[in-house]
Amino acid sequence: MEKESTTPPNWTTSSFGMEIQPNELNCAAADQLPNSFFNPNWDNSVDHSDPFDSSLSSIVSSPAASNAAAIPGSNCLMITELIGRLGSICNSGEISPQTYIAGNTTTNNNSTNTSGYNTPLNSPPKLNLSIMDSQIRGRLPINGHQVPFHPTLVPFSADPGFAERAARFSCFGNTNCIGLNETDLPYGVMPGMEYGKMSNASSNQQFKLVGSQMGVKENNKQEGNVAVKRKFIRLPRPSTPENAELGDSREGSSVSEQIPGGEVSTKVDSDANARKRKSISRGKAKETPSTPSAKDHKTAVDNEESNAKRIRQDEDAGNEKDSAKAKAKADSKAAGDGNQKQSKDNSKPSEPPKDYIHVRARRGQATDSHSLAERVRREKISERMKFLQDLVPGCNKVTGKAVMLDEIINYVQSLQRQVEFLSMKLATVNPRMDFNMEAQLSKDIFQSRGALPPTLYPLDSAMRSIPYGYQPQQMQALHGGIANETENRFPVNSLAALSRNPSVQLPPMDGFGEAVPQVSAPWEDDLQSVVQMGFGQNQQQSFHGSGAAAQMKVEL
Amino acid sequence: MISKGATWNSNSCRIKFARRFVSALLHMRNRNTRPGSLTIEGVRTHTQRIKIAAYLSMAQAVGSRRAWSRAVLSKHGSRARRHSRMGRSSVGLKKTRVIRSYPPGELGQAKKLRQLVPGGKTMDMCSLLEETAHYIKCLATQVKVMQTLADNFSK
Repeated sequence: MEKESTTPPNWTTSSFGMEIQPNELNCAAADQLPNSFFNPNWDNSVDHSDPFDSSLSSIVSSPAASNAAAIPGSNCLMITELIGRLGSICNSGEISPQTYIAGNTTTNNNSTNTSGYNTPLNSPPKLNLSIMDSQIRGRLPINGHQVPFHPTLVPFSADPGFAERAARFSCFGNTNCIGLNETDLPYGVMPGMEYGKMSNASSNQQFKLVGSQMGVKENNKQEGNVAVKRKFIRLPRPSTPENAELGDSREGSSVSEQIPGGEVSTKVDSDANARKRKSISRGKAKETPSTPSAKDHKTAVDNEESNAKRIRQDEDAGNEKDSAKAKAKADSKAAGDGNQKQSKDNSKPSEPPKDYIHVRARRGQATDSHSLAERVRREKISERMKFLQDLVPGCNKVTGKAVMLDEIINYVQSLQRQVEFLSMKLATVNPRMDFNMEAQLSKDIFQSRGALPPTLYPLDSAMRSIPYGYQPQQMQALHGGIANETENRFPVNSLAALSRNPSVQLPPMDGFGEAVPQVSAPWEDDLQSVVQMGFGQNQQQSFHGSGAAAQMKVEL
Repeated sequence: MISKGATWNSNSCRIKFARRFVSALLHMRNRNTRPGSLTIEGVRTHTQRIKIAAYLSMAQAVGSRRAWSRAVLSKHGSRARRHSRMGRSSVGLKKTRVIRSYPPGELGQAKKLRQLVPGGKTMDMCSLLEETAHYIKCLATQVKVMQTLADNFSK
């Protein structure tokens, strides 16, 4: 736009000031401006040829639209359409959100469909943006939504809505980022706005916009437009429900998104890069957003999360369950669009059934460092859940964190019950032992003994000299004496026999190996050596068979 | 994530546990020479002790590497146990640590899991899952060993 050449400098310089002022203005005119914004008329008036100017002017000039608050859905729709239009304009060029901050140049106008939102319109766009911001802000805090700047809007070109949304976001984000940061919009800015559905939806959208913008901005700083688009690509899975919710918005943004989407789709692979950028941008973003925005984000995100949670559960059966944090929501929201796009672009089925696996770096969570951390955290959790799945038998088909957790809990409980039962069994089965005898016996035995030979079989011969030489046969006196107080099974005479007979046959401990025959402390050293030796042998044989399969030779 | 050398690790874990457990059992028997073992109360007490001995033995076998083992050790016996790897200080510290703050978990399931896994109250979800995995592994080993023992004893 030609205007840009002149406006950018002014715009940049005054951007901040403008941001603040327009915000205030917006506050005042919130009702009207948003109304006008959402006014369907505005759409009509939007001229693709000069969408920004016309639309913006129409918005500004028609404050009387009163249906903004009244029509939540339409508002969102309006917004999306508006954004879409803007996006289309931007799409024609290149998205360079950065630019408007630095002063949009002519090129920016074209490119910054997302970012150029501000430039061409100069003050009016700013006004609009600020209005949007204020609206968003106003809505955000009220709804308790967090504003997770989700730059993830645009990645999927396939979805036209995304494109538009992305455009929106980039536009808003750039300006909003600045403006939002700069200005503390009172939450009650938009009295006329309905903070119900509309706000939620719009806030979500706007959050994404903002987020995307923020992310875009930062990305641009780092990598330029390309980076921005990349970020868009990553969207979390739970896009579908969100999409459903924000379906209208998405559709609106489809136009603008398509163009950038195409570019973005190519970037889908650069998740890693995006992640890095995100972290970097997040770090930066953190500083930029002011406290209120952060707070807004948090609250907004929470709300979004709750919404997204529901959505996600439908979709992912609890992928985001644990991360009921802003990040999850924000991601899911952005991801919703992104996912759709992704699926279209990548022809991937919506994320794998295991929700928790599908974490992606989303663009635009710049302002929310928590999102990034949460995503990482979530990935770790999903990784662990997978590991647990292997551990817990019969959990291969289970998907979803909730069900998986239930299974794990049941398994742990059953194991603990088993331990209790077995300990009871041991308590009854092992009545008192005539320890003294055994202790003495073992003492004598071990004392008389020297070092045990290091091999199992050689041990046998050696064991003969040792009262506890173990032969893989039935349990014998020693063990019986120790274990069974019931003379029935292991009469004391066996003990005597044990003492008398240098070679004692210890019962093979399946999967057990060596430690069983440990009788008492004095024997331990010898036992250890024997056990280890025997164990080594056992291992070779089939120690692993914990079941009865392997008869472990236990040597004392 | 944590795919330890499954067999070897479990084997060593098993061996260590078995050893300790058996010695603990013997020790217990040694101590309780002729208690009223046939009375229900006696059996119950004995059962409890055996159960605690089992958990303690397992925790000792694991050492202080794991949070849950440390929690078990601190809970049941901070007295110096032979073969305890880490210094007592860690165990003692564990005890004094404030443990009532539930990290913001996801749902009630996490809470349940925290109650099940020793020392899980203070862990965040991520480490809770990790500890749960290791705990399940050790529990399974414990069960197997005890099963074998019981079978052998009852032969």
